[in-house]
Amino acid sequence: MNIHPAATAMRQENHTHALAVILALSLACWVLGWLAAGPVYLSGGTAGFGYVLFRAAGGYRLRRSARAAGENRPLPRPARPTERPKPANPHDPGALADEMLAQGRCALLLRPQIAGNLPEPQFRRALASLNETMALVPEGDVALEPASQSLDFCRLDADDALHIVRVAPVFLDRYPVTNRQFYEFVAGGGYEQVALWDTAIWTAVLAMTDRTGRPGPRYWMDGVYLEGEEDHPVVGVSWYEAAAFARWIGKRLPSDAEWVKAGTWPLPTGGGVRSQRRYPWGDTVDRGKANLWGSGPERIVSVREFTEGVSVGGVYQLIGNVWEWTSGTFRGIDGPDGRLEPAEPMKSLRGGAFDTYFDNQATCQFRSGDYPLRRKHNIGFRCAVGVCDLLLARARGIPECTAAGQPEPPGNQMAGSAECESAEQAQEVHS
Amino acid sequence: MTTSVIQPLASYRLTEYALPIPCYVCGTDNTLDAESCTRCLAPMALAHQVASQGTEPRMVATMGASGAGKTVYLGMLMDLLSHQPERLRLLARGAFSITLQQTTVAALASCRFPGKTPNEPDRWNWVHCQLRKPKQKHPLELIMPDMAGDAVLEEVNHPHSYRVIEAFLKKCRAALILVDAVRIEDGAREEDYFAMKLLSYLSELVDRARSGWEHRPVAVVFTKADQCEECLEDPTEFARRHAVGLWQQCRERFRCHRFFAAGVAGACATLDSVTDGRVLAPLRIEPRGIVEPFYWLLEQLPS
Repeated sequence: MNIHPAATAMRQENHTHALAVILALSLACWVLGWLAAGPVYLSGGTAGFGYVLFRAAGGYRLRRSARAAGENRPLPRPARPTERPKPANPHDPGALADEMLAQGRCALLLRPQIAGNLPEPQFRRALASLNETMALVPEGDVALEPASQSLDFCRLDADDALHIVRVAPVFLDRYPVTNRQFYEFVAGGGYEQVALWDTAIWTAVLAMTDRTGRPGPRYWMDGVYLEGEEDHPVVGVSWYEAAAFARWIGKRLPSDAEWVKAGTWPLPTGGGVRSQRRYPWGDTVDRGKANLWGSGPERIVSVREFTEGVSVGGVYQLIGNVWEWTSGTFRGIDGPDGRLEPAEPMKSLRGGAFDTYFDNQATCQFRSGDYPLRRKHNIGFRCAVGVCDLLLARARGIPECTAAGQPEPPGNQMAGSAECESAEQAQEVHS
Repeated sequence: MTTSVIQPLASYRLTEYALPIPCYVCGTDNTLDAESCTRCLAPMALAHQVASQGTEPRMVATMGASGAGKTVYLGMLMDLLSHQPERLRLLARGAFSITLQQTTVAALASCRFPGKTPNEPDRWNWVHCQLRKPKQKHPLELIMPDMAGDAVLEEVNHPHSYRVIEAFLKKCRAALILVDAVRIEDGAREEDYFAMKLLSYLSELVDRARSGWEHRPVAVVFTKADQCEECLEDPTEFARRHAVGLWQQCRERFRCHRFFAAGVAGACATLDSVTDGRVLAPLRIEPRGIVEPFYWLLEQLPS
C-alpha cells in the first residue's frame, strides 16, 4: 500500500512532539534530582537526555540519506484557488457570457452562431480577450520533417522531397494551458460532460483521476492543482483530456503543421528555397530562452518565464518546459538504422520539455509521440482555433463576414467550420 | 666504409621489465607492457594509473541481467555527472574512461540504444574517474566497469569461470544491481531469479563478519521505469509487489540497501533492424532517477 506523503509528515511531526515531551521530562527529572539530591531522578534524567540525543542523531542520518537520494523536496500540498462565483442563470444570456469570459472561453463566444447575438460590449471584450491570449499564425506553406528526419534542418531546398503543407490562418494560444485554466474545466464539471469526450474512451474517463482519486490531472490533489503551481502548464493529462478541454473552451488541438508554422515562421526566399527557423528565436540553441535540460530550473516553471524564447508571431514557450500534444497521429520516424514505428498508434508531441536532454530533440521540427492515454509528468498542451471558425467583425449585430473577408451565408457557417477543424486535411503540395 | 657511432647502453630500462606490476583487480603479477592481466583480463592501464597517482581507487560494481540497461545507465551517469559540476565534479581518468560515455550518448542522440556489451572482459569498458564534491579536499577515485550481463550470469552459475568478476566483486565497496522493471511488471520471473542469484552470490563471496557484503551498500535500480509508472512512484513498493524474491533477499542479506527507479527514454518504438531483428529504440531522451542511486551509494561509502 502506498503511504501518502501527508501521512508521513504527520508521523514525523508526532515523533518530534514525543521527543520534545521526553526532553522536558528529562530536564524536570534532572532539576528535581539536583534539588533533592536523588540519584534515581538524576539517572532517569540522564537516560532521557541520552535517548533524545540518540534519536536526534538517527533522524539526522536519515535526513542526510534522504537528501543524498534527492528526497528533500517539500511535500506537495493542494492549492486554495479563489472561490468560484455561483454558476450563472442559464436563462440570462448576459450573465452566461460574462461567466464564459471569466472562464477564458472567448473563442466559444466568438463562434458565428453565438457572436451574432452578443451585446456589443461583450463582443468587444471577447475580441480583446482573444487578442490577449492567442496569436495569429498567418496562412502559408510550411515544410514538415523530410522522410529522413534531418538533424540540421533549417534551410530547406526544393529538391529535398519535403513534406510541404498548406496551413490556413489560425489562432494559437500564446501560452500552454495552465493549471488555473484547467481548474475551471475540472470545477465546471468537464469530466462529467460526456459530450466533450470521445465515445471510445468513456469508460477510461472514470480512471482519469488525481492522486486522491478525484477527477483531474494525475499530479493534482483533492481535485485542485498544487500550491504555487497555478501558472505552471498543466501536465499529467492524456491526449483525450487535452482534446476535451479544448472542446469545452471552444477550441481544438493544433495540427502538427500549424504548430511547426507558428515556431519556424517560414519565409520563401526565392529560387525554390525556403527558410525556416530551427527554434522560434533563430537557428541556434540558447538555453537562456527555453527551459530544457541544463537551463537551470530542472523542473517545470511558470508559463510566464523564459519570455525571450518568444516566436515571431508572439507565441511563448513553444520550445521547452513541457511537450505539447497536437492533433496529429505519430506514425514513426526514419532513423539512421531504419524506420522507428510505435507498436500501437501514438499521438504527436512537439517542442521538448524541461528534461529533454539533447538539443536536436528540442527543435521545432523534431517530432516525438506517446500513447494517447498516457498521463505524463512533462506533457501538456496548448489550443488553437481556425480564423474561419470565428466571427471577428460584424455590422448592425448581424454576421457580415468572417476574418478571411468572405461573406458567408448563415447556413454555410458550420460547413466552413468543419472544414477548418480538420486541419489534418490541409492541402499537401509536394514540391 | 664503416662509421662508428656511440650507442648508449640503457640497461637500466631492463629493470622496468624485471619489476612485476600487479593487476589492480586480482593482484596477479604482470609485465610492464601487458595490456591486460594474464589471469583475469582486466586492463593493466588501471594498475599503471594507480601506481602513477599513488591513490587507492574504490570500486563499485554495476550488475544486472543481459539487456537490463547497464551500458545506458553507466554511460548516461558519466555524462550527467560531467555536466553537473555544482553537486559533484567528475573527471575521467584516461581516454578509455570516456569511451563508454561517448558511445552511449552518440547512440541515444540518434534514437537508438547502444549495442550489447561483449562477453570478453578485455573488451569491456572500464571507467576510472575522479569525483569531487564542491567543498571536498580529497577527491574520490572510482573504478566502475561495464560488465556483460551474460558473463556475470555465467560466473554466478559456475563460479571461477570469470576470474575478473570474482576478484572485482571481492574488492568492491558497493554495488548497483540493475533490474528491468518492464520485464518484472510483465511477470517474467527470470529477472527476479537472476537478481536473487546475484545477491546470493554476493553475500557468500566475502564471509568476513565485519566487512562482508552484508555491510556494504547495495542500490537496487529498476531500469526502464519510464515505461512503468507504478515503479517510478514507489520503487520499494514495486519490489515488494512484483519482485518478492529480490525484496526478501535484500531484507535478509543486506543491512544497507535501497530501491530506486531510473529511466532514460521518454517513450520507445520498435525498429526493424537488419542484424538484430525487431528491437526497441528510444523516441526521445529524458533521463530520470539516474544520479540519485549513485549519490546515495557515495553517501553510504565509508570514508
